[in-house]
Amino acid sequence: MVSDALCAFTRTQKILVLSPDPTLARLFDAAFTPAEAEVTIQCQGRYAVETLFTDPPDMLVVDAALADMPGPTLVTMVKSENVYRQLPVALIMDEAALGPDIDWCAVEVDELLTRPLTSAMLRARVTLALARATRSLDANPLTKLPGNTSIIGRIQDLIDRRQDFALAYADLDYFKSFNDKYGFSRGDEVLMMTARIIVNTVRAVGGPTAFVGHVGGDDFVFILDIDRVEEACRTVVASFDGIVPHFYDADDRDRGFIQSVDREGNRRSFPLMAISIAVVFNRDGRLKHFGEASQTAMTLKKKAKENPKSCYVLDKRQG
Amino acid sequence: MAEDLRTERKGRILAVRDLPTLPKVLEEVSKLVERPDSTTEQVAKLISMDQVLSAKVLKMVNSPVYGFPGRISSIGHALVLLGFNVLRSIIVSTSVFEVMSENMVGLWEHSLGAAMASGAVARMVKLKDAEEYAVAGLLHDLGKVVATVQLPDLKPEIERVVAERDCFYLEAEREVLGFGHDRINAWLADHWKLPANIKEGLSYHHKPHLAQLYPEMACVVHLGDFLVRSFEYGFSGDVGVTYLQPEALKILKIRPADFENLLDELSGQLVELADLRFT
Repeated sequence: MVSDALCAFTRTQKILVLSPDPTLARLFDAAFTPAEAEVTIQCQGRYAVETLFTDPPDMLVVDAALADMPGPTLVTMVKSENVYRQLPVALIMDEAALGPDIDWCAVEVDELLTRPLTSAMLRARVTLALARATRSLDANPLTKLPGNTSIIGRIQDLIDRRQDFALAYADLDYFKSFNDKYGFSRGDEVLMMTARIIVNTVRAVGGPTAFVGHVGGDDFVFILDIDRVEEACRTVVASFDGIVPHFYDADDRDRGFIQSVDREGNRRSFPLMAISIAVVFNRDGRLKHFGEASQTAMTLKKKAKENPKSCYVLDKRQG
Repeated sequence: MAEDLRTERKGRILAVRDLPTLPKVLEEVSKLVERPDSTTEQVAKLISMDQVLSAKVLKMVNSPVYGFPGRISSIGHALVLLGFNVLRSIIVSTSVFEVMSENMVGLWEHSLGAAMASGAVARMVKLKDAEEYAVAGLLHDLGKVVATVQLPDLKPEIERVVAERDCFYLEAEREVLGFGHDRINAWLADHWKLPANIKEGLSYHHKPHLAQLYPEMACVVHLGDFLVRSFEYGFSGDVGVTYLQPEALKILKIRPADFENLLDELSGQLVELADLRFT
């Protein structure tokens, strides 16, 4: 058994178990070491709700047969609050009680544990549910690429290990006017297309640090080895410029611009979308914190934005 | 033809899972994809020589999974968006014609010739994105391949009608199947969510003057098909040359003098193409 923490988790996981079943404590003790999981067991649902809302655990395990309320009712209470939607919840039931009449789509649980329970199965299922939640929590819902938490974690980790890397921030020019004119579902198509171009390019150019994340909206991040980043930027720019006209209606595409409304509400014409990329380098452990990297990138991006065409700007101060 | 028989046949056509291609093409593409220094352009050029692989790539990139159905009509763009990983799985999922009938080789050559001719026509009349016209030219007889694979028992029947009546392959298809390959193309284009311009090229290449959305595309493919038949390159299923719709030339604003230049250019390119052996 792992000595300090569960494989995917860097700290002790807090698990709240709501059940009147006295045998559960023993099973959890056998399944997890104290360093891996801090397990609290309560038998009343009512008292647990407050704890749950003020000091939420990493995972909630609920017995279908609570003393004071049905387990699924408590789960619905918790899950209807949007900040807790991502909290992984497991439901414990007797296998004999599994009938065809249960509407599983209506019960917002993420994992099912059935009696008879063993500690080995408990360990496996609970760990899987925790790992699954960590993965899905941070993925961008549209592109399924890792989001902010993973991006920051990745960058800080490289900084901490004093590893050289190039960090590229990419975003689209005139995306908002495209969205305003054609609607958000056409805008989403463009974001999916951009994500595919970046992912395939970064994967093809490769290197040990290769990583792509989606900050949100039209903002993307990619990380590559320093000597490969320029090739990736060139390819992304060329591919984007070649493909993006196909996402416009034929007449707009022929004209080379669209008519839309700007931030002040005035009608004006906007060029076809372009991609701007700002690249920051970390050499010889120069960066100490993620914040430095993102701040430099934002300054560079302003420079890249001055050019209405697709382009990339490298951080010369370190180049 | 009874409606239910037609519906049943349409169902069989659209149930197509695997279209076989030439062993040599598949081998070349596999080799190229495994080489670490291969570029997307090189792979795209090779895939653009095979209608089955091209159709598969376009079907994949325009599938709703990637989030932009009906947008991509160029093989190069499709490869950029799919990546080599997906391409490898497309190659793995493609089988080869174990025994290549002479007619299928002929159809493969005819399609390749039509792709080249359509691209040349599009460039001559200065249409944007000539590559997309070449793609439509390449795929214009895809319906014939799919019908052969999915309704194999009817293929000899179609050929018998062509020989006995001395009629065009398209007419024989309509008599035996109840629909022509142009109709099959339209079904496939809808089913695979191919872009509208490609769909019009595929489904109106025998009646380009009726195309509503992209008349230039239909006219270019019509002309490309006609030209490659005139040069007797490959075998489309017909011995003779189909009728050239004069409207097509009018829509594309092609003058007789341009036409001669085009023929000169094409004859040179077809000689080069004839040196290529993929069988």
